[in-house]
Amino acid sequence: MRASINRPPTPDAEEDPPQKELSLREIINIKLIESGEKEKLMELLRERLIECGWRDEMKALCRAYARKKGRKNVTVDDLVQVITPEGRASVPDSVKAELLQRIRSFLVSSSL
Amino acid sequence: MSSPRSQQASDCFGDLLDCIIADVASECHRIARLGLDRNLEEEEEELRRSVQARVADQSSGGEANGKNVVDIFGQTHPAIASEIFECMNCGRPIVAGRFAPHLEKCMGKGRKARAKATRSSTIARNRHSRGSPVSVYAPYSSATSTHRVPNGTVGGIGEEYADHAFEEP
Repeated sequence: MRASINRPPTPDAEEDPPQKELSLREIINIKLIESGEKEKLMELLRERLIECGWRDEMKALCRAYARKKGRKNVTVDDLVQVITPEGRASVPDSVKAELLQRIRSFLVSSSL
Repeated sequence: MSSPRSQQASDCFGDLLDCIIADVASECHRIARLGLDRNLEEEEEELRRSVQARVADQSSGGEANGKNVVDIFGQTHPAIASEIFECMNCGRPIVAGRFAPHLEKCMGKGRKARAKATRSSTIARNRHSRGSPVSVYAPYSSATSTHRVPNGTVGGIGEEYADHAFEEP
């Protein structure tokens, strides 16, 4: 591109962003959102995780961390890092299975 | 079950889970920063700290607890009021903290003690005391009194001498 002292022109709406094309992952995501299925799946997962106490465990981890570090020094990023490994590992198998099943059905029905 | 589809499903699931983790983290962050969760603990700590502070004040400052409390303007008051003003009865400069006992002598120690004294001297005395609630004697005093003194001035001269006569050792 020519070096220019002017601001580069705003890309037109029709042009694809100068990145790679939308990956399959992104397409799936878009379809999930547009169909409303993502919202439903989120609600379902949230409900299941609350029922099985997963959420309380995560909150306990956060509380312990905040107590240790001093509650005014805590950042959201800190907490995300604190919870993520344990959170991913401690989802009950039944919950995971249920969600995976629903996602798979969706993928099939959307012929993705 | 095709692998790619399972993989995609797993990815989707991970995505959802990350969102929920972020939600929980955000909420816990809020609770931590606002101190909502540990309210009990915090209050206990603050209580302990304030008790300690009070103890420290006591040991250095000294008097009864209630008197050393700070008012809403941040002022503390000594236990005994030390401002000096003029008694409106006899005109003497009086320390505010000693005003009540002074008034007792200045206006007559209560009713019973005065009532025992002869009525005429009591009437004469009461005629001089301005603002005296003992206005029961007023009708009598106006008839017999020869001294008419305006309000608020040194009307208790006679009394004053009488006081000294009674109470000086």
